[in-house]
Amino acid sequence: MNKPLEINPLKLSQPMGALLAFLGIKNCMPLMHGAQGCASFSKVFFTRHFNDPIAIQTTAVNDITAVIDGGDYSISEAVKNITAKVTPELIGLFTTGLTETKGDDIRGVASILNPQHNIVYVHTPDFEGGLESGYTKTIEAIIEQLVEPQDHIEKKITLIPHVSMTPLEVERVKEQIELFGWSVFALPDISESLDGHLGLKQGALSSNGISVSEIQGLGSSHAVITIGASVRNCGEKLCSKNQNMQHLHFDTIGGLRASDAFYGELISLSHVLRPHASIMRWRKRLQDALLDTHFILGGLKVVLACEPDQMVLFSSILTEAGAKIKAAISSTKSDALDKMPSSHIIIGDLDDAERFLDESTLLITNFHGERLSKKYKTALIMRGFPDYETLGNQLKDDILYQGSTQFLFEVANCVSVHSHHN
Amino acid sequence: MVNKKQIKELLNESACNHSEQKKSSCDRPKPGATSGGCAFEGAQISLFPFADAVHLVHAPSTCLGASWETRATPSSYDGENNTYLGYCTNVTLNDVIFGGNKKLEDSIEYIIKHKKPKAIFVYETCVTAMIGDDMDNIASRMELKYSIPIVVVHAPGFVGSKNLGSRLAGEAVLDKLVGTKEPNEIHPFGINLIGEYNVTGDMWQYTPILEKIGIKVVSTLAGDGRIESIQTAHRAKLNVIVCAKSLITLCRKMEERFGIPYISVSFYGKRDTSNALRSIVAAFKNEELSKKAEIIIAEEEEALETKLLPYKEVLKGKKAILNTGGNKSWSIASALQDIGIEVVATSINKSTLEDIEIAKQYVPILMKSPANEQAKLIDEHNVDILLAGGRSLYTAIKKKIAFVDVNQEKKVSYGAYGGLENLAKDVCAAVKNPVFSIVGTPAPWDGLHE
Repeated sequence: MNKPLEINPLKLSQPMGALLAFLGIKNCMPLMHGAQGCASFSKVFFTRHFNDPIAIQTTAVNDITAVIDGGDYSISEAVKNITAKVTPELIGLFTTGLTETKGDDIRGVASILNPQHNIVYVHTPDFEGGLESGYTKTIEAIIEQLVEPQDHIEKKITLIPHVSMTPLEVERVKEQIELFGWSVFALPDISESLDGHLGLKQGALSSNGISVSEIQGLGSSHAVITIGASVRNCGEKLCSKNQNMQHLHFDTIGGLRASDAFYGELISLSHVLRPHASIMRWRKRLQDALLDTHFILGGLKVVLACEPDQMVLFSSILTEAGAKIKAAISSTKSDALDKMPSSHIIIGDLDDAERFLDESTLLITNFHGERLSKKYKTALIMRGFPDYETLGNQLKDDILYQGSTQFLFEVANCVSVHSHHN
Repeated sequence: MVNKKQIKELLNESACNHSEQKKSSCDRPKPGATSGGCAFEGAQISLFPFADAVHLVHAPSTCLGASWETRATPSSYDGENNTYLGYCTNVTLNDVIFGGNKKLEDSIEYIIKHKKPKAIFVYETCVTAMIGDDMDNIASRMELKYSIPIVVVHAPGFVGSKNLGSRLAGEAVLDKLVGTKEPNEIHPFGINLIGEYNVTGDMWQYTPILEKIGIKVVSTLAGDGRIESIQTAHRAKLNVIVCAKSLITLCRKMEERFGIPYISVSFYGKRDTSNALRSIVAAFKNEELSKKAEIIIAEEEEALETKLLPYKEVLKGKKAILNTGGNKSWSIASALQDIGIEVVATSINKSTLEDIEIAKQYVPILMKSPANEQAKLIDEHNVDILLAGGRSLYTAIKKKIAFVDVNQEKKVSYGAYGGLENLAKDVCAAVKNPVFSIVGTPAPWDGLHE
């Protein structure tokens, strides 16, 4: 009998992905069109993960409005109540399974409200897709509805990170591109909003990020750089706003070869001969780290249970040091999985991951893996959403030369400490 | 399916003090101005602590994906502890169009075959309520086929708040489980603990004391709960509602059906714990039991006072402001007073009328809009400690006073006598910690002009 249900799910929902995308926009009020619980669950989830307040409101659909309202009442009422207290630069309206089942016309409602309020709308039912697709759909909607078409280009680059990149990783990539002389705008930019900074006021709106006017002007970017298979189409979408814009896509920027590819493209795009000295130093450190850690990581059997784009990152780094991906459990379908070097690629849950843990040494997954790692005595590296256990996970960095170097050391140390204790 | 009549009855609970006035906690949520969880969450929180039952959520991915393994409700169950596991039918577009009945039925069969639980709770959610899956029918067929209780909880998120969901969960337990089994023996001083979820082991702080006195806990709803014991709950002699008021309807109905009286108590702080023990014992009107209880209470209080001495030394003369919601607005205030802290003000902006009445008895200043009031009160009263949620952290940093996050998921129990020592420890640690004034130090470039 095939398993008809999910046990210990890995999958997170589309509306949660939409929320993360809107949280990377300055002074934005994410508005979830659903029952109050949809927003409350997501708020608590990310608040505990990031250890910071999360801006979100709900249209609070109830059993009566679920039947007699097509969204007009609850959405416009919500916008009225929100703007009575705060002045958002953008309201990010996204749907849930409930409001998609009843089939609300959010485009119609948004167009009525839009002259007065700035609203971006997106359909994100949670009975389809997952975290990555919800996030991607939202970025596409933002591009479609906000970015103005252009024909000239300026010395600037748009960066579109995938949903599992941490605030610090987004910041690092921006800084690396800036080292080549570009101004960089990340869409969305969670590096200043969810990075865990002590702010003067913890307001009801997203604290920082890319501004609406910056988004409107992204059409004049010289190039758009997308990182992660899930956001590849977002890059295409942005290019459609300006035929002179180039699109550089990377499935991942973890490990030596993928980082080489990233810097290589930047070098030719920027017409420079040598990158900044720090980049060259970190490449040598990564070479050294690969050699230092390969004794421990060579042949190491690893189970990954993550969002697809994050899984590609970890496998890219670890296999360079000789690790074997015993099983790759993905939350959802993705093109990224085609290239995964594993004989067991499964779209599934943590219950599926358990089958491979007896024969594996290392598990990389979110904090739910803690119980599993105890049960099967495997080493554990916690990554991905949610992580309610460790602090500072908004500042983890596993990408490019520097992040990959530190990741290799973290994993090798974790595995060797674990082997001493078991 | 959702029972509208039942919901109406629950919202107008006659045993609720506030029912005659304003139904403050039972209003419909306002779009764009609502926080707090839904009915499904309330039901889930109430029932998840049954560790020997599987909790199957019939929903797409937000409902469970964001909510499993989130609460520390320990269990002593020695089988597979389902409290920390997540089961979800993962409703997809296909199910929305063609219905999720088949998937639900298959899922129940899979669980019974592979997990052999003592019971299965099936949670209805918004989407599966909208598509009209016939959960009751499936549950009763499966129940007949496999002879284990399968309880459908009709609390989809959109019917209301967390509080209502807890009530609906209580109704489901009452209708499907309570009274379906006879116990081997009936204890003369048997009680049910209702609305106690054993968060961080709160319940275990006082159940050993109850046992010492001679009170037997017949069943709990649902901290460290077991299906078999809740089935015999009708043979208890007293229902004890712990802190949460949401399950008052269940208790009223159990009184009507089985003649079990109920009392409401709180186990936060020394005074409240002692009062709680006294109220429980008093309900049995047994002189010997009362005498024994007094002896044990005296012992416990004395032992606690000795343990608290070093903390009271540190906290002597300290003033605090409390900014939290619900019954915490008075229960934590009372606990703070028990460790020698003067509570200057407490927040009531999220409390029920009943909570406000109680809070009045403990604290002189009630803040209706704490975000605007607390900073001023800190200055006026020379307050030393702010106990609040994370949003208020910056206020404490700015005022350079100690901060304790009372809304964060607790790691240790603050319940009963033992928990009071934990609270004292945490508050002392905050008061002694230099971090709050260090973090508030101006940066070297502050005040410089270009």
